[in-house]
Amino acid sequence: MAVGDYLLAGLVAMLTGLDRVALIQIMISRPLVAAPLTGWVLGNPLVGMEVGMLLELLWLGRLPVGAAIPPDDTQVAVGATVLALSVGHLLDLHGMPMVILSVLIAIPLGKFGQVFDRLARHTNDRLALSGHDALMAGNTTGLERYHLFGLASFALASLATAVIIVLIGSFVLYSVAPLLIGAVRETGLSLQYSLILVGAASLLGTINVNRSASLFCAAFTGTMLVLWMR
Amino acid sequence: MKEIRLSWLTFLRIYLRSFLLQASWNFEKLQNLGFFYLMLPGLRSIYGDEIPADVRQRHCAYFNTHPYFAPLVAGTTLRLETLSLAGEEPAVDSETYKKMVMAPLAAMGDALFWGGVRPLAALVGLLMASQGSLWAPVVFLVLFNLPHLLFRGIGLILGYAQELKAIETLQKCRLPDLAIRLKESTTILIGVLCAYLSFKGCEHQELSAAWGFVQLPIVLLFAWLAHKGVTSLFLVLLTTSSLLLLALLF
Repeated sequence: MAVGDYLLAGLVAMLTGLDRVALIQIMISRPLVAAPLTGWVLGNPLVGMEVGMLLELLWLGRLPVGAAIPPDDTQVAVGATVLALSVGHLLDLHGMPMVILSVLIAIPLGKFGQVFDRLARHTNDRLALSGHDALMAGNTTGLERYHLFGLASFALASLATAVIIVLIGSFVLYSVAPLLIGAVRETGLSLQYSLILVGAASLLGTINVNRSASLFCAAFTGTMLVLWMR
Repeated sequence: MKEIRLSWLTFLRIYLRSFLLQASWNFEKLQNLGFFYLMLPGLRSIYGDEIPADVRQRHCAYFNTHPYFAPLVAGTTLRLETLSLAGEEPAVDSETYKKMVMAPLAAMGDALFWGGVRPLAALVGLLMASQGSLWAPVVFLVLFNLPHLLFRGIGLILGYAQELKAIETLQKCRLPDLAIRLKESTTILIGVLCAYLSFKGCEHQELSAAWGFVQLPIVLLFAWLAHKGVTSLFLVLLTTSSLLLLALLF
């Protein structure tokens, strides 16, 4: 991957990161969108789609309510896509096993996202104070300016998370991929499907609705029977 | 004094600014700057460039609600401001109104959009993606944003037009019930997705589809663990290490 590709990925990281909280919130920050978008700007949307599928459900049940900060699945998706394409190209390893390894390495690094997000919000504490002071002095334009400065905090937090995931992830993936790729390939589709099922189970466990187990069992059994008898 | 009416251009500005509500989200007063920023075109239409100090003070206080419900609160608040300026005395002043509704609307919005619409749209997108369709992200975005963007716009107009009665109208829509129906539909789609993936897994390994039913108790066990607070990261590590170990041993 060329430097320009990394810059483009950085731009996607900031844009999708802003969508999480600070700007618009049309959900381009969801892994199902952020990862294919990253893949698309890097010339391979299919790899992004595979990353997005594995990650979409994992933290979907963690609601961004009030001051709660869920793990940064957006930057995990962006970072895992960059890792699969860049390290995969370096080692000449491609396909689903490489995608799975990239995702597995990027997932724990998503914790950094929470740290940077918290830092951004603390930086905004100071902006909010300055904005309030400007407003009390009758300077509404000053308030507008301080408010919009907040976007920079969130954008930098997203970029920092993506950079950490790609830097640490590249080092780890480069070291372990040649050792583990065979075992991951051996699992075939099992590992890919199991990771999506883990996400589905996590969502099911946090969905908070009566009769969820009965509804799930009925839908599962009904679908299995229809597919079986087809 | 005659009541000041806001222009469509002002409404458009407020609508567009609502997408920046959380730009300066902070731990101290959460969306306070954002809410003032959102209301500013309306306040400028009402008071001109010299917004009185008491108005500035009361609309830059602590504020936190669901971002998609903020235009509704802003619409009502601005209408209450115009009514007060015109000498009318609304049942509730704008400051009390904001304090009264922000938390219930936040809970309603979280349940409806984060807990209802988003997982359902994501599940539909994932089902398409699992069939190899590259349109999955587009379908997800359309399914989610159609209600989202409409809700912001309708909320703003409804809040301004009906002022305090907007909350009654909202109650009549029975949004919490809708959120529950959406969650139930999501649960059904999770079942469909899990069954489809289990079936494909069996097919790929040339096993009888009956083996797919083994996944049912496993997913239920993992869901129970997630419900008990076990993190997704731990479940991923558990699954991966078990499968890799099996692959290495056999």
